[in-house]
Amino acid sequence: MQSFAYARPETLAEAIALLDAHGPEARLLAGGTDLVIRLRDGTLRPAIVIDLKRVAELDPAIRETGGRLVLGATTVMTDIAADPRVRRHFIALAEAAAVVGSVQIRNRATLAGNICNASPAADTAPSLLVYGADVVAAGPSGSRRIPISELFVRSGVTTLERGEVVTAIELPLPARRIGAVHVRRTRRRGHDLASVTMTVAVDEEGLTRLAYGSVGPRPVLVVDESGVLADPAAPDAAKAAIFERMFADASPSPRSMRAGPEYRLAMLRVLGARALRIAIERLAGGE
Amino acid sequence: MTQLIPISVTVNGRPRSIEVASHHTLLEVLRDDLELTGTKECCLVGECGACTVSLNGRIVDSCLVLAVEADGGEITTVEGLALADGSLSALQQAFLDMGAVQCGFCIPGQLMAAQDLLTRIPHPTVTEIQEDLAGNLCRCGCYEQITEAVVAASERGPATPGRAAPAAAEPGR
Amino acid sequence: MSAIGIGASPNRVGGYGRVTGGQRYVADIHLPDELHVKLVTLDVPRARIVSVDASAALEVPGVRLIVTADDMPQPVPRFGPQFRDRPVIAVGETKYHGEPVAAIAAETLDAAEAAARLVRVEHEELPAVFTLAAALDPAAPLVQDRALRPNDPLAGTNVLREHRVGWGDVDAATADVVVEHVYTFPMVTHFAIEPHAFIAAPDGDGIAVWSSIQHPNWLQKTIAGIVGLPLAKVRVFAPDPGGGFGGKQHTKYEPLLALMALRAGRPVRLVLTLEETFQAVRRTAAEVRVRTGVMRDGSIAFQDIAADYLLGAYADIADRVVGKGSYPGCGPYRVPDARIVARSILSHTVPSTAFRGFGNPQVNWAVESNLTEAARVLGMDPLELRLRNLARRGEAFIPFDTPADGEWEQTVRRAAELIEWGSPLPTGRGRGIAIGIKSGPTTGLSYALVRLLSDGSIVVYAGTSDMGQGARSVFAQIAAEELGAPLDWVTIVMGDTSVVPYDQQTSASRSTVLMGNAVLAACREIQGRLRAMAARLHDLDESVIVVERGVIRLPDRELPILDVLKPGLGRLGGELIGVGEMRKEDEPDHPLGGSAAFFELNCTAVEAEVDPETGDVTVVRYATVSDVGKAINPLQVRMQDEGAAIQGLGHSLMEHYIFDEVGRIRNLGAIDYRIPTSMDLPLEMVSDMVENEDGPGPYGSKGMSEGALLCVAPAVAAAVREACGAVVRDLPLTPERVWRALQEQSRPAAPEEDAP
Repeated sequence: MQSFAYARPETLAEAIALLDAHGPEARLLAGGTDLVIRLRDGTLRPAIVIDLKRVAELDPAIRETGGRLVLGATTVMTDIAADPRVRRHFIALAEAAAVVGSVQIRNRATLAGNICNASPAADTAPSLLVYGADVVAAGPSGSRRIPISELFVRSGVTTLERGEVVTAIELPLPARRIGAVHVRRTRRRGHDLASVTMTVAVDEEGLTRLAYGSVGPRPVLVVDESGVLADPAAPDAAKAAIFERMFADASPSPRSMRAGPEYRLAMLRVLGARALRIAIERLAGGE
Repeated sequence: MTQLIPISVTVNGRPRSIEVASHHTLLEVLRDDLELTGTKECCLVGECGACTVSLNGRIVDSCLVLAVEADGGEITTVEGLALADGSLSALQQAFLDMGAVQCGFCIPGQLMAAQDLLTRIPHPTVTEIQEDLAGNLCRCGCYEQITEAVVAASERGPATPGRAAPAAAEPGR
Repeated sequence: MSAIGIGASPNRVGGYGRVTGGQRYVADIHLPDELHVKLVTLDVPRARIVSVDASAALEVPGVRLIVTADDMPQPVPRFGPQFRDRPVIAVGETKYHGEPVAAIAAETLDAAEAAARLVRVEHEELPAVFTLAAALDPAAPLVQDRALRPNDPLAGTNVLREHRVGWGDVDAATADVVVEHVYTFPMVTHFAIEPHAFIAAPDGDGIAVWSSIQHPNWLQKTIAGIVGLPLAKVRVFAPDPGGGFGGKQHTKYEPLLALMALRAGRPVRLVLTLEETFQAVRRTAAEVRVRTGVMRDGSIAFQDIAADYLLGAYADIADRVVGKGSYPGCGPYRVPDARIVARSILSHTVPSTAFRGFGNPQVNWAVESNLTEAARVLGMDPLELRLRNLARRGEAFIPFDTPADGEWEQTVRRAAELIEWGSPLPTGRGRGIAIGIKSGPTTGLSYALVRLLSDGSIVVYAGTSDMGQGARSVFAQIAAEELGAPLDWVTIVMGDTSVVPYDQQTSASRSTVLMGNAVLAACREIQGRLRAMAARLHDLDESVIVVERGVIRLPDRELPILDVLKPGLGRLGGELIGVGEMRKEDEPDHPLGGSAAFFELNCTAVEAEVDPETGDVTVVRYATVSDVGKAINPLQVRMQDEGAAIQGLGHSLMEHYIFDEVGRIRNLGAIDYRIPTSMDLPLEMVSDMVENEDGPGPYGSKGMSEGALLCVAPAVAAAVREACGAVVRDLPLTPERVWRALQEQSRPAAPEEDAP
């Protein structure tokens, strides 16, 4: 890998200043599980790598405050998957975090890194979309809150602006009871990148939120307000029709090595139906 | 041009102060600068686990950690698993006894992952072992025996110095 | 915990280093003053090299040497175990994606990598053939220079060779039922966890080479020929490889490094990246058309097999793979009329080489699948069909070769028993069974040297490569057994051509038999000397003394060896040295150059479940049984068989190279080339072995370790078909392919697809 300058700012202001000063010549380093691969293969050649792990304001903690669960930017997947509050309120996120790579990867990979990397197949993206997460970003002009649904543009590209650093991901504690699950398709049982990744949540008022990834340039959130999907008694044909509408814009890449487009589109429906059943069961079972 | 950064790490209990290039991984520094070649290089993309070490109490793929990131950290490698008097840990001995070693190249990584698992879950189920060691590829296909070794180690408990020597020898016939 | 003796499973010799990190593989070795090498390759499948501009690269601080074909001795030396077709570095043209154009040696790896990025190779991309169809097209560009095959009528094609084996008259044969299909076996790569590594260094008036090579003596000869040194001045160190599976059998970049080392006057080292190993070695892919004729009563009437194997741009050992692998293609059955036509076809792809199974799995996939289908058409149990035709011991199932050398029915019945063949299955589950056979070594030569030291400890010199299969343990057990020492009093020395006598190679599951017999012979020589010593010491005639299995038997008592050795050596001390040779001569008229020393025979039975909506295959139960003669170390046998099974599940369910439209490999590296992890195992796996002590090796052993990989795929595919009806004739059976097969089969009046 080519050399670069390495900075280890200890304050957020320092990190932002560095990032703003170098712009596209800088890359942020948290877990490194995406970045280091790209440094090695030369697809990224930054002049400077800014390590965020010593930034005081970005500690890897999970806090409950003001009706939200706040996940620090450097919180790693292992801790997200194991945290009892995440498991209680946001089980799909815990399930997604638990399948990102191996134990070794999960001990390093951060949630912020996963979403900033903006892979369409990011396993945590669907659940963040379903749970309506907000991404808190701090930049040269201050701090702002970006709804996760407005973050992803396409593979590798987000709406973060120059100099902005994700400082936290906030999940509003659900006001209603929810049953949710994360599912995905892979090429083997062992750790793998997903060919389809999906979260489905139904709530006690009959709203169904479904988000899927890896079938298009970015993860997509679709909502069913009709109540049909969430209704355990509704006929399969009715649900299938709603799925058709929901997946109408899915656009799997024809060039993917992981799975062909026809298969992916079919699996959206298969996973959708299965995940929905589980979500309904979980809602009924009161988790 | 290459920036050399001083770091201090504790490796297998021993404090080390070295200067590292910013772009060198922990794997490279362990193998080349600290001459601890027990940790292996294979895929270099965090898939195979041959480079697994423990960093601050958690296992990581050292090929994906820049050495500079480990500054101030505590690292354990396979060379740190044996006991102070050189005898094998219960886990290492179990790997030998259960036939979990063929070519041996994946074994340092497997041992680090297994040791980590046993620290977190002293009596893991077979499923837990297979899931938590899934980040360690073995092309010789020793997975079943590795699983059996972890189970055996969990049943034996940790070794103490003086016990658990290499394969028992029978005195002359 | 562990016992010694033949048939016990003492802990692996060499295990301690492997669990402590002390084991030194080639990449762990550093020489003073070494230079680091990086290869320069092009990201195209094939190109004409117009010019190489290394000027910017040479400016990088620390760069000492950059070589291209122009810097080599002229004409550029070529090597290859079968044909001297491969230049030490690309000459005029890169013939596959990843063929090195230049090599850089620098003080640090960083410098070498930086320089590699700066080498400008002006090149013209050329059309590449990377499928059988493309390579066989009459208008296809020739992969190999015609001039390399001056008197070969096939030189104007990409067909390197055609192998024909047969007996009876297939064209005249008739059958009640004929089943004909085409099957394909993908390109897969060895993916040993240790990437290939090489070091070359000037060594006085000679040269020393370290390599992860499986055949050190073969490498020694190749290097000597290329650098122009006598063998005695070429020292090859072959540390135990971290997995080989055939991918480390033959010379790769060692000659290039040797020439660079001599030029630089310093050691040079090259460790391949995993991606580079995918571009260095792979299995030979194949398309096999099988026409099987069977009678109503289940007897096989004929087999007509046409196997086209897709080799890479250089032959390596792959033509031998084709010839030897296809040869027992009809399987271990009585087949009255047979024809096997196997062709080696060159392409602009990574050179294929030996890979566990050596060409047999490819044909086995097709023929066993076809047999299962024939059973289905007949309405007969596929196990029953196989048993009905299975050759019995002594039958010349291949008319001009070694007759069946085992009670093979035992193996098959045992596998069936372990999987509970015939017992009721829940819906959605299916079972498959298949038998694999492979010829053992057809020729061979191994020398062993054994030294019984004055305290009774033993040193064994055996040139086998222990890459995980446990050869060290096997030889140690033999020596310990024969010369009466505890196992940890035996030291095994391997991997140094200056110290260890000649061994032809480590392949073909040969080492227990060939080298094991050499070790045994060396021990017997020592036993002879001990006998003479005992006779002298006890004033007896040698004819009344027996020395065997570690003891000395006099007419009236038994003595431990030390009781004779110590007084026998006398005041001057010393040691007893024995040399053993095991030789299997070639048979010039035999199609393979020699008959099989033994056969590896394995039966694999699988129970699988398929999720029809996703195509996911779950291997619920897996049984593998091999006919091994005698397991000198049963635990190692079990590990080899179960390991082979898991490796076979890889090519059956998930492994394949993916190409782009022009022939570049897209899935280099570990992220998109999937091999089985600990979570991809059968839910239940059982292995067993049949030991009738009927092999030619020590104590009646046979070779093993490839058998259990031969028939994984047809057993799995048969189980999948039984479970859900999906018919897939192209490996791997990925979820998507199984799903697709189900989709297509459920469409009304879908024609059956033969082509991949």
